[in-house]
Amino acid sequence: MKAGQSVFATVSNFLSERFPVEHMNFQHMVEKKDVPVHNMSWGYYTGGLTLFFLMVQVVTGLFLLFYYQPTVSDAHLSVEFINKHVAGGALIRNMHTWSASCMIFFAMLHLLTSFAMKAFEKPRELTWIFGVLLLFLTFTFGFTGYLLPWNQIAVNATKVGLQSVEAVGEYLPGALSQLPHILRETFQGEASVGQSTLGRFYALHVVLLPLALLGLISLHLLSVQLHGMSRGVDQPTKKSERFFPFFIFKDLSLWSIVFLLLLILAWCIPFDSFLPYPLLAPYNALGSTPAGIKPEWYFYFLYYPLEMLPFWLILLATGLAVLVLIFTPWIFKGTSRKTLGLITVLASLYLVVMTVFGEQIYHMVKP
Amino acid sequence: MIDSVLFIALPYLAIFICIFGSIYRIRKMPMTYSALSSQFLESKSLVWGSVPWHIGIITIVLAHLFALICPGLWQMLMAYKNVLLITEALGLAMGICCLVGLIVLGIRRISSQRIQAVTSRMDLLVLFLLTAQVIFGIGTAVLHRWGAAWATGTAVPYIWSLFTLQPDLSYISDLPHMVKAHIVSAWLLILLVPFSRLIHMFAVPLHYLTRPPQNVLWNNPRHYEAEAAAEEILDTDARREFIKGGVGIAAGTLLLGAGAMDKIFAFFFGPRLTAKEETELMEEKLCRLQATTDQRKLELERQSSKYILVSAMSELSPTEGKYLIDYQMTPAMAFKGEDGLPIVLSAKCTHLGCTVGNTVNKEGKILCPCHVSYFDIKTGEPNADAPAKAPLPILGWALIDKAGKLIASRSSKGEISGDTSSESIKDCDLFIVKTDEVKV
Ligand code: HEM
Ligand code: FES
Repeated sequence: MKAGQSVFATVSNFLSERFPVEHMNFQHMVEKKDVPVHNMSWGYYTGGLTLFFLMVQVVTGLFLLFYYQPTVSDAHLSVEFINKHVAGGALIRNMHTWSASCMIFFAMLHLLTSFAMKAFEKPRELTWIFGVLLLFLTFTFGFTGYLLPWNQIAVNATKVGLQSVEAVGEYLPGALSQLPHILRETFQGEASVGQSTLGRFYALHVVLLPLALLGLISLHLLSVQLHGMSRGVDQPTKKSERFFPFFIFKDLSLWSIVFLLLLILAWCIPFDSFLPYPLLAPYNALGSTPAGIKPEWYFYFLYYPLEMLPFWLILLATGLAVLVLIFTPWIFKGTSRKTLGLITVLASLYLVVMTVFGEQIYHMVKP
Repeated sequence: MIDSVLFIALPYLAIFICIFGSIYRIRKMPMTYSALSSQFLESKSLVWGSVPWHIGIITIVLAHLFALICPGLWQMLMAYKNVLLITEALGLAMGICCLVGLIVLGIRRISSQRIQAVTSRMDLLVLFLLTAQVIFGIGTAVLHRWGAAWATGTAVPYIWSLFTLQPDLSYISDLPHMVKAHIVSAWLLILLVPFSRLIHMFAVPLHYLTRPPQNVLWNNPRHYEAEAAAEEILDTDARREFIKGGVGIAAGTLLLGAGAMDKIFAFFFGPRLTAKEETELMEEKLCRLQATTDQRKLELERQSSKYILVSAMSELSPTEGKYLIDYQMTPAMAFKGEDGLPIVLSAKCTHLGCTVGNTVNKEGKILCPCHVSYFDIKTGEPNADAPAKAPLPILGWALIDKAGKLIASRSSKGEISGDTSSESIKDCDLFIVKTDEVKV
């Protein structure tokens, strides 16, 4: 009994340090909160921008729901209908797609800057973990949303994605090796990507994931407000800025500029225009897969290595990376900000090079 | 002849003088290359002149440089109608901004005695040339529209031909006079850079962007007091300021909302299609529904029947596979083999499940386009270095004649039975079979 009690005490201590109830009041969480001013201050905007793009996603997503029909016979046509006939439909859809990319970009940037600024130090370990989970959720949003227009690239990329999940099974021991298969069947719902898959992805994309995201975001933001902004740099900064009303107004001004840019971008450049038409044609179960199937750009950093290197290597690296990300607060506890900065630069370099030049590198390696 | 002087000799001269002249001046007279200030002498019209001028010219110069340095990317962007529209409109607006700024600056130079004291003839010449340059630019934008699009085929290759030392006048020889004037006066301005205050272009305070914010403090007790007082105000009035700001934002949002309301309403109200559009849409819908129905029928058929028709033997080709859906509801395809017997094999790539293409190449292989795996249609084996490792499964089949009699069959393991002479199978239909029990 005693051991049990002490475990309980440890857990409750841990939690009460991370969620100090005595701080849960307006004064502490809003009025007294300061934002340090230093060279890396711009990093404090990345989280807010991610939140902003999420809000755009929610609003434009709700707009799309009015016309989108999640069945294999109607999905593609309903998306076309939005584009062609609905007033402002093409704009809304484009905003949803552009902003999805922006949200993922800023979520990644937010993770990188928080890492470089060592924002995960005690007592912010849970804030970090919620953040990592949020990033994964955002990727899942992108993956499930991608299938919804039901065009050639959507269905085929989803097939490849789900099949890659299944391929993990070979490398797992014993009974575990069945897990990826079961997982794929669960998400796919039938022998091949079809109506059941579409229904499931739809439910995930518009109901389950948003709910999960909402829950996680509440926890994430609650802990951010409870603990205030982390220092971010080594020398204590002399200057700081009150979060409320000053910083939040800067946030809002930035958001309005970004909104304007997003609007112009979505109005001018259809996201679809980056793909040739055969890939955007309605999915055809009877034809060959058209050439050029690839995931959205934000999966390139995983996709191109997967194309070039042995699967087990990528699997190992990804598994390790996920573990490291989750346990970062403990792994990098004693690391100096300088080293963290270096790691961040290297990681960003990898991400940028793979995303921008992945295709060229692939063609160089496999002519 | 005159063209060669203006568009080949002048540019080389200008660039040469600009580069070496500027280096000379920055080296020998380092303190003179940031703009000679006249701010203390007169500052009001400086703001109204200098700010629009600099906002305008910096935007425009950056856009020109962008188009010059990445013409491919620029052209790709301009292919979007809306991007072109915005670029042209923004360009014109910025041009007008420049012109307004220049006029204010010009009036200031001429009208204020104190400023005339620090004004050289060179300043006036530069001011004049800049004004001319801006007017030519605006003229081009207005009279010869869509320059953002056509410049990548004319001015840009011309300038590149200069840089690569193969001057080619044919790109610009047919351009209107307005555009040519714009180009010539640009070379003249570049020529004058080292001799005038234009050289301050090279003293752009870029480090301001990255250094942490600094407060410039006046060495004067009065300013300290004023600053302390200001901070006091911020502290006590924060709430009031916040409410003010909040009300401002709310009002702005309301206005924006009112402006966008009819659009938003139209979105939810939905389109009202013309009869023709309505018919087209209905037809398309029916067509897609039909495809789904067909798919469902296939599924049902696979549940209930032992054989499924693929096609008549006579329709099979040795080089182009016929797609079908097998009993697992995954794609497969059928060929006519060299021996005249059918080949039916799965078309679901054993790598990650794409559908393999149906065109046979010279080596007798078919290609999965997703990650480039070639499969031999006779054995189903992938080539050695393909990402796919397992062969495509070869399926069993049955040949049935018009009278419904089973003539020949192949089990999934490869045993062929029955009468396989080409004479007897040529009028048969090809079926895939649910189990291997079907045998002659
Ligand atoms: C409550 C929130 C959301 C709702 C209700 C929603 C709703 C929808 C709907 C109805 C579609 C199908 C229409 C279409 O394909 O254009 C869609 C597509 C999509 N969604 Fe969302 N969405 C939400 C949030 C998100 C988030 C957070 C992301 C990613 C970060 C995202 C990424 C996508 C993508 C990539 C597509 C495919 C766009 C396309 O190719 O057309 N969505 N979403
Ligand atoms: S899915 Fe066919 S090669 Fe990868």
